[in-house]
Amino acid sequence: MDWDWQFVWQILPTLAEGAKITIIATLLGYVLAVVLGLLLAIMRRSHNGFVSKPTAGFVEFVRGTPLLVQLYFLFYILPEAGITLAPLVAGVIGLGLHYATYTSEVYRAGIDNVPRGQWEAAKACNFTTRQTWRHIVLPQAIMPVIPALANYLIAMFKETPLLSAITVLELMNQARSIANYNYRYVEPITLVGVFFLVISLISVVGVKYLERRFGAYGKRGRAAS
Amino acid sequence: MNRLFTLSRRAVLGAAIAGLAATAAQPVMAQDALEKLMEKGEVRIAIGNEPPYTELKSDGTVTGAAPDVARAVFKKLGIDKLDPVVSEYGAMIPGLQAGRFDAVTAGLFMKPQRCNAVAYSEPVLCDAEAFLVKEGNPKKLTTFKSIAESSDATIGAPGGGTEERLALEAGVPRSRVIVVPDTQSGLTMLQQGRIDVYSLPVLSINSLAKKAGGGVEVVAPVEDSPIACDGAAFRKDQTDLRDAFDKALAELKESGEFAKLIEPYGFSAKAAMKTSREKLCSASAE
Repeated sequence: MDWDWQFVWQILPTLAEGAKITIIATLLGYVLAVVLGLLLAIMRRSHNGFVSKPTAGFVEFVRGTPLLVQLYFLFYILPEAGITLAPLVAGVIGLGLHYATYTSEVYRAGIDNVPRGQWEAAKACNFTTRQTWRHIVLPQAIMPVIPALANYLIAMFKETPLLSAITVLELMNQARSIANYNYRYVEPITLVGVFFLVISLISVVGVKYLERRFGAYGKRGRAAS
Repeated sequence: MNRLFTLSRRAVLGAAIAGLAATAAQPVMAQDALEKLMEKGEVRIAIGNEPPYTELKSDGTVTGAAPDVARAVFKKLGIDKLDPVVSEYGAMIPGLQAGRFDAVTAGLFMKPQRCNAVAYSEPVLCDAEAFLVKEGNPKKLTTFKSIAESSDATIGAPGGGTEERLALEAGVPRSRVIVVPDTQSGLTMLQQGRIDVYSLPVLSINSLAKKAGGGVEVVAPVEDSPIACDGAAFRKDQTDLRDAFDKALAELKESGEFAKLIEPYGFSAKAAMKTSREKLCSASAE
C-alpha cells in the first residue's frame, strides 16, 4: 500500500468542500433534533390521549426503522405526493427527525427525574401548565441531560455519510467520487476517517466538559430536593 | 469434551486465517491466473446492471451483451461458470485491483486513463453517448457543453462512469453533476425534476426510455461525445489471462458468433472489429 502525499494535497480542497456540507448537515440536523425532540417529549406527556398516543406511536415508528430507509422515503417517495425536497434538505430533515426521537427519550428521562412534588408545588402556587413547564420543570429536566444530548450530536455526525445515498455531496460522497476518478481509495477514505476521528475526539472533550459542568447540576439539584 | 471443542474451534479459526491469507496472496501469483480460474471452474465478473450492456435478472442469472460475450469466451477457455458481482462503475477498477473480481465485463469504455490502470481486451461493445430529458427538452440541452453553458441545468450520471468525466471535462461544475446510483434512480430523479439530463450510452438510454413508457425524450447521439468501445478489463499484472481472452475473442469474431451474440442487443459487431485497443487507448480524451 503506497501513500501519495502529492495526491493528498491535490484532493484536500475537494474534501474540504465535502466537509463543509457534512458540518452544515450535522448542525442543522442537530438543531432540528434538539427542538423537535423536546416538543415530542412534552407532547408525549400530554394528558390528551389524541396527542400523546400518536406522538408515542410516531417515536416508536421512527426509532424502529433504519435511517437509510427513511432517507430513501424522503428522497424518492415523498415527491410522489408532490413534495420534492432538495437533497440536502431531505437529508437534514431525515437526520433531524430520526435523532429527535432519540433526544425525546433523553428529555423524557430528564423530565421523569423532576420530583413529583415540584408539579404539586407549582399547582399550589397557581402556575398554569405552560408556566410550570417553562419555569419549573424544564430548567431542572434539561440541565442534567445536556451531556447525553451532546452524545447524540457525535452519533449523528458519524451517520452523515448515509446522506451520500441520496446524492448529497458531503464528505463521503466527495471522497468516493475522487476515488472513482483516480482509482485510488487509500488516501480519500483514510482522510475521511481521520476527519471524523479528529472532530469526534474534540467533541468527546467537549462532552466531558459538559458532564462536569451540568452533570454536577443534576447531582446538586437532587441533593437539594 | 469441552477442551476438545475449544481446540477444534481454534483449528477452524486457523484454517480460516490461512484461507484468508491464500486469497490475499492471489494477485501476486499472476502468471497462472488462468490455471487458477480453470481449477475453480468459475470466474468472478463485475457488472453494472445496466441493460443492454449487463443485466442481473431477478432469478440471479446474468445476461446482457458484455456477460454473454464473456461467457462464450470463458467457455472456450474451459471455464463454464460466471459469478456476477454488481458494482458501481467507479468501484470497478479499484475492486479489480483489490482482487474482488477477476474481470470487468460491464461496458467500461476504454479511455487512456483507464488503459493505464487495467489490462483491456480487444474492443467488444461500441456505443455513443445519449441524454434522456423530459419530453420537449425544456432546457434545450443537446450537448455536454450546453449543460456547462446553462446557468442551472443538472446532469445525472453513474459515479465514475464515462459520462461523469465527459460532463466535468466539458466544464459542468461538480455541484451540477449528480452521481446517480443506478438506472432506476436516474429515471426517477429525472421524472421528479431532480436532474435535467440523465446521461448513459445510447443503447442504455433507449432501453430505459422504453421502460419509462412516456414523458421522456432521447437525445442521441450527443454531438460532443466520441464513440467509445469497452473491452473486458483485467488486472494489470494478468496480461496472460487477457491474452488468452483476446485469442478466444478473436476466434469468436472470426466465426461470426460474436455478431450473433451482440447484434440482438443492438450493438454493432462491425464497429468493434473496425477498431482496436491500441487505437482506443491512445486516443486523446476529448
